[in-house]
Amino acid sequence: MPPADALAPERTGGGGSDPVLEVRGVTVHFGGVSALTDVTLSVDRGSVTGLIGPNGAGKTTLFNVISGLQVPNSGVVVFEGRDLARVRPHRRARLGIARTFQRLELFGSLTAEDNVRVGLESSIRWWQWHRLRASFPWARDEAGDGARATGSRVVGLADRLLAGVGLAGHESEQSSAMPTGSARMVELARALAMQPKLVLLDEPGSGLDEHESEALGSLLQRLAADGMAVLLVEHDMELVMRVCDRVHVLDFGHIIASGTPDEVRADPRVQKAYLGASAGSAPAAGGDV
Amino acid sequence: MSQFLEFTVLGLILGSVYAISATGLVVTYTTSGVFNFAHGAVGMIAAYGYWELVTHHVPAALAMVLIILVGAPLLGVIIEWLLMRRLLGDTGERPIMVTLGLLSILIGMALVVFGENRGDTLNPLVGGTFRILGVGVTSQDLVIAGAAAAIAVALRVLFHSFRLGVALRAVVDDPELLATSGASPVAMSRTGWVLGSVLAALAGVLLAQQQQTSLDTYTLALLVVSGFAAAVFGRLRSVPLTYAGGLVLGLAVIYFGSYAQPHLGSWGPDLSAALPMIFLFGVLIALPSVRLRAVGKLTTLRPPRVASGWESLVAAAAFFLVAVACSLTLSGTVVGGNSSFGVVLDHTMAYGIVGLSLVLLIGYAGQVSLCQFAFMGIGAFLMGKVAGGGSLLGLLLAVVVCAAIGALIALPTVRLRGLYFALATFAFADAAYTGIFPDTRVLGQGLNVGQIVLPGLSFGGNRAVFLLLAGAFVLSALLVLAIRRSLFGRRLVALQDSPAAYATVGLNAAFTKVAVFAIAAGLAGLAGALYGTAAGIVGTSDFDIFTGVIFVLFVVVWGVRTVSGAFLAALSFAVLTHVWTNGVGLFAGAGIVLIGWAPNGIIGMTWLSRLVPHRPGAGRRASTHDAASLVGVVDTREGDIRAAG
Ligand SMILES: Nc1ncnc2c1ncn2[C@@H]1O[C@H](COP(=O)(O)OP(=O)(O)OP(=O)(O)O)[C@@H](O)[C@H]1O
Ligand SMILES: [Mg+2]
Repeated sequence: MPPADALAPERTGGGGSDPVLEVRGVTVHFGGVSALTDVTLSVDRGSVTGLIGPNGAGKTTLFNVISGLQVPNSGVVVFEGRDLARVRPHRRARLGIARTFQRLELFGSLTAEDNVRVGLESSIRWWQWHRLRASFPWARDEAGDGARATGSRVVGLADRLLAGVGLAGHESEQSSAMPTGSARMVELARALAMQPKLVLLDEPGSGLDEHESEALGSLLQRLAADGMAVLLVEHDMELVMRVCDRVHVLDFGHIIASGTPDEVRADPRVQKAYLGASAGSAPAAGGDV
Repeated sequence: MSQFLEFTVLGLILGSVYAISATGLVVTYTTSGVFNFAHGAVGMIAAYGYWELVTHHVPAALAMVLIILVGAPLLGVIIEWLLMRRLLGDTGERPIMVTLGLLSILIGMALVVFGENRGDTLNPLVGGTFRILGVGVTSQDLVIAGAAAAIAVALRVLFHSFRLGVALRAVVDDPELLATSGASPVAMSRTGWVLGSVLAALAGVLLAQQQQTSLDTYTLALLVVSGFAAAVFGRLRSVPLTYAGGLVLGLAVIYFGSYAQPHLGSWGPDLSAALPMIFLFGVLIALPSVRLRAVGKLTTLRPPRVASGWESLVAAAAFFLVAVACSLTLSGTVVGGNSSFGVVLDHTMAYGIVGLSLVLLIGYAGQVSLCQFAFMGIGAFLMGKVAGGGSLLGLLLAVVVCAAIGALIALPTVRLRGLYFALATFAFADAAYTGIFPDTRVLGQGLNVGQIVLPGLSFGGNRAVFLLLAGAFVLSALLVLAIRRSLFGRRLVALQDSPAAYATVGLNAAFTKVAVFAIAAGLAGLAGALYGTAAGIVGTSDFDIFTGVIFVLFVVVWGVRTVSGAFLAALSFAVLTHVWTNGVGLFAGAGIVLIGWAPNGIIGMTWLSRLVPHRPGAGRRASTHDAASLVGVVDTREGDIRAAG
């Protein structure tokens, strides 16, 4: 496989692209406050799309609208050509939208491994009783033996996913006792376990050190190279500028700029939103806004 | 027409009674975020206090002032300080448990100090009767109707016109926001409890004066239950709507009792007693669904370790051997006339199965059910009626029918918040206990259940019956543990921890909740059938709603997340009900105070769990995050996940 960085430029440019998600004219009010006003954006298959903006800009609210936790006052969300207006959150997830949360939403009393297992097993329906056998003692130990070993098979996958986000060796830790950075990675592994077509990441980089966030960046690019669409909310500008193919900028609920990282960085309105009246070159690489 | 007027006046007066207690509930809920199941019990204690003062020749007016303006506020402060402070902002099952515990402490104390009732009646504050629209009413009725309206108006004004009131309302809406605005949530919550206690005491004293019968501990404490419906009608927030709900409910009860009930003839059960609860159920179904919300609150609770398959098999075998040893002390042949010891053993096993159903529901899924005893009653009924009683078919039907009823109750209500769901189960339990079980065609005073006959096996003797119960308990425990280890068990725990994340991994919370409630109902039905067959004859009082609530508290006190907690709860409950009936509620209430400190119950306390060895390897950890291993993910996706999905 070629390095992900080498592939990135080929997918930029938007124009005749293949949007997996389209948000059109979404508006959300909380009482008197408008959290989102007429927001329109799209996310392409096989790309990493950034969504940035100052605190309180409405990024998390937009994620909630897309995943169905927040009903918009107006506007539509279209996923793979299908209007999601009447689709409940768990159905949206089954259609292929996974997400992580800015304020962690782990299954806190489960271990890291079991968190991921719940994601892996979410496609198992209740009538598939034979899967239950995995929980009985006599069905436990026979790895690699067809249906009887479903349990161990899933455990193995969960562990590999955890290893994939850098948590090898932490499988049996209670997830609520983990440090924030690791807990975010558990959420990411749980989201990836569902094999989503679109994954929404709400500040996955906070709580990671420099080395880890670099690894996260290359992971996201690999996922995109594999055909997944990634929508990334992140305050770590270096990460955003490095991995995103396109970036949308939200400010007070309005999209004020969209384009490649370089275009957005050069946009005066973006600089103004980030730095107010003072002159400067934000969002500068390396700046943590 | 004049008859209609008379019913209307009576209905409005009854409605005012409901409204007084319901507005008090709303006040505590809006100001502290806690639904106070003990609201009526506070009023009951106040009524007894008033009675004591009056019999000691304190003037009635002074006694009322002392009780309502001195005693009640003091009680409110104590409740807030002792029980509620540690639970501030907790939206889970613990506040529900704590107020239920308070209910049982207050009732327990009243039973010990005052007994079940007082023979003499209280004089009304003002005597005399009036005629309104040609209907005779007492002055006390007018006082109550006036007080209900005055309280509603005063609260409405307080909440909307004064800074204190607006701040009070904010507590329930957003405690965090309130904290940033500088007001202290603790002070607000304390004000709420004081206000709530004052209203409860006022209601208690006024109603005790109105009741022309004797003062009755249970009647007074549970009077507020009818108020639940009115309070929910006001969404637990709106005072005017609550007041209106009380009046509507009062009218409905009187009209139904006067016009509809006679037409039901001897065929229909006496539904008027159950009407408030049917009303409550209806209001709950009409409520909008709770919105899924990411709250970002992580549980910090360390869950008890789950026994592995082999461990639980070995423990089950050992348990059954002990049961066999115990059974040797029982007479082998005599049916009926069981020794006290035998009764305690039988009850332990039957209650133990109910306890297991609660482990599944509350411990794993975080859903509070207050109606497991109602399912027991249904199970015992089926066991007694199907195929002449004591048949295997009856046992099976007890499980299946209870599970089906459970699913029917859960379907329209699981989409609600946890508290509303608990109220719905309470409504069902109350309707069954007051409306259906007392019918002589159902349970009445006593229904012959009959000894069970299994093909090829005789369960004629006490010993055999006990072993049957013990076997059923062991199998149920294995089932519950197997569920916990299964995919379904992981989902239950996941759902309790984060409903928002549960939905976003593609799982349907409503379905999971209905399923677990149905399974738990089936288990309780099984317990009831076995309880019936062991007792030989059961009556309505065996499945008392209040006893059922106390049993839930026992399980929570011992540890609702473990099978051993369920067993110890059942054992202590069976022993205590046998030895000191009045002490049961006191024990439960006293234990509940503990759960602010020991959320996993007695057997989950840290000093105890240190005695239990940990699973080897549970603590293995790597030194740092291995960033390089991120590389593995793409291969994982391409390979095995697809195969597994
Ligand atoms: N449930 C809610 N009720 C009321 N207001 C809300 C709610 N959720 C968000 N808001 C408001 O909507 C606006 C947007 O919030 P949002 O959390 O979406 O911003 P954000 O861009 O994610 O900010 P951050 O970078 O701090 O995460 C804010 O003003 C916030 O106060
Ligand atoms: Mg946010």
